[in-house]
Amino acid sequence: MNRKVLIFLTVAIFILLIPFLIFYYVNYQNLHREIYSMDTIIKIDIWGINKEKIAYEIEKEINYLASLFDDYNPNSEVSKINENAGIKPIKVSDDTIEILKKAKEMYEKTGGIFNIMIAPVSKLWGFKDESYKVPTLNEIKQALTLTDINDLVINSNEVFLKKKDEAIDLGGIAKGYTLDKIKEIIEKNKPTKVVVNMGGNVYIYNTDPNRIFKVGIKHPRSNGVIAILELKSGNFVATSGDYERFFELDGVRYCHIIDPRNGSPAKALISATAITKQGYVGDAFSTAFFILGKDKALQLALEVDAQAVLIDSSLNIYYSESLAGSIEVENR
Amino acid sequence: MKIGDKFVIVLIIVSLLFGIFIQYVLRRNQEKLLVILSDGELFMKVPISDSTNLGPILVKSKEGFLYVIVNKGKVKVIESTCKDKLCIKQGEISKVGESIVCLPNRISISIVGTDKYVDTTSY
Repeated sequence: MNRKVLIFLTVAIFILLIPFLIFYYVNYQNLHREIYSMDTIIKIDIWGINKEKIAYEIEKEINYLASLFDDYNPNSEVSKINENAGIKPIKVSDDTIEILKKAKEMYEKTGGIFNIMIAPVSKLWGFKDESYKVPTLNEIKQALTLTDINDLVINSNEVFLKKKDEAIDLGGIAKGYTLDKIKEIIEKNKPTKVVVNMGGNVYIYNTDPNRIFKVGIKHPRSNGVIAILELKSGNFVATSGDYERFFELDGVRYCHIIDPRNGSPAKALISATAITKQGYVGDAFSTAFFILGKDKALQLALEVDAQAVLIDSSLNIYYSESLAGSIEVENR
Repeated sequence: MKIGDKFVIVLIIVSLLFGIFIQYVLRRNQEKLLVILSDGELFMKVPISDSTNLGPILVKSKEGFLYVIVNKGKVKVIESTCKDKLCIKQGEISKVGESIVCLPNRISISIVGTDKYVDTTSY
């Protein structure tokens, strides 16, 4: 063969390989980050250009919000509000005001089932500091008097808890709220694909809005997956389960999700998943679904344009009708 | 040998190496890997199969340490300095997508691969 042709062909192949490699790196090599914050592990996977920059922006946002909401950190705004309960109003940042307003909105939408003021009752059961005990009915009754959402007063950028010993706990909404902020960062930067798993609260994104993701729901009694959801980009998936934090006494399992109607751990279900278009809604609703039980949860999901997957103690799985065809039940 | 010949030979060798590299990357991704991160940093990444036996492996972090063993491809934590011992109570994992996390020690142990059946899991 003519040498010039040979050289030309080799160079051509070589040059064609370079964009292939760049394409491969950009689209198939994902950036994987694991961050420990908000008392949980946050796993972030990003595909596409500017991965490092986006991951950095997300990490910064998480750390900022954690510094406001974390009630285990004595310097957080939430801790300051709790410390000054019954004493004086506290000036807080816009994000704290926004999340508190959203928490109140969720209280209204769930008929009082989702209540960030339940903290004194959780504390009584020992879920705050792992000193678990079953309180007396009188103690519970007493603690329930400190859970009135109207005692949480928001006045422009000041927050006040009316009674001493009242406290707020954003554990049931902070992760979802943070995911909403992460969504804003992602939509601004438009990477190819993102999967964020924030202690079990999931957000999925793809530049192609019709792209399907497979999201597993954890088996409540083993390490595997009990069902797989096929969901489009842009959805949030949050699950509340009795396996996350619980203690057992005389063969009875007491989980950390408290029913505000009787001040005791909820036991209608062992796992409740909410699929929503907004993170904070999903986070709050998975808790509300868990407390409400099968019938009322499915009803509520219909009313608020969310979807639910519910599992009872016999491992029966119930789900919103609109999920038919996009849910696959695995081994039980 | 003329300069052009050498050029061609070098290009062919480099192209071949690229080909082998791409093959390697693609094949590697089809395997099942045990990935351990400590304080968010990669601690170890090894391929595992149903016949893999490893350990006990000492995994250290700034907060403490734990021991992991792999028995016939099943991964579990057998010892940990954490208070709650949830990492030990979680038991064994063996499928792609499953993971064990020790929050107090900030150590995560995951099984990853391309033949995954879920993108992520809600819990």
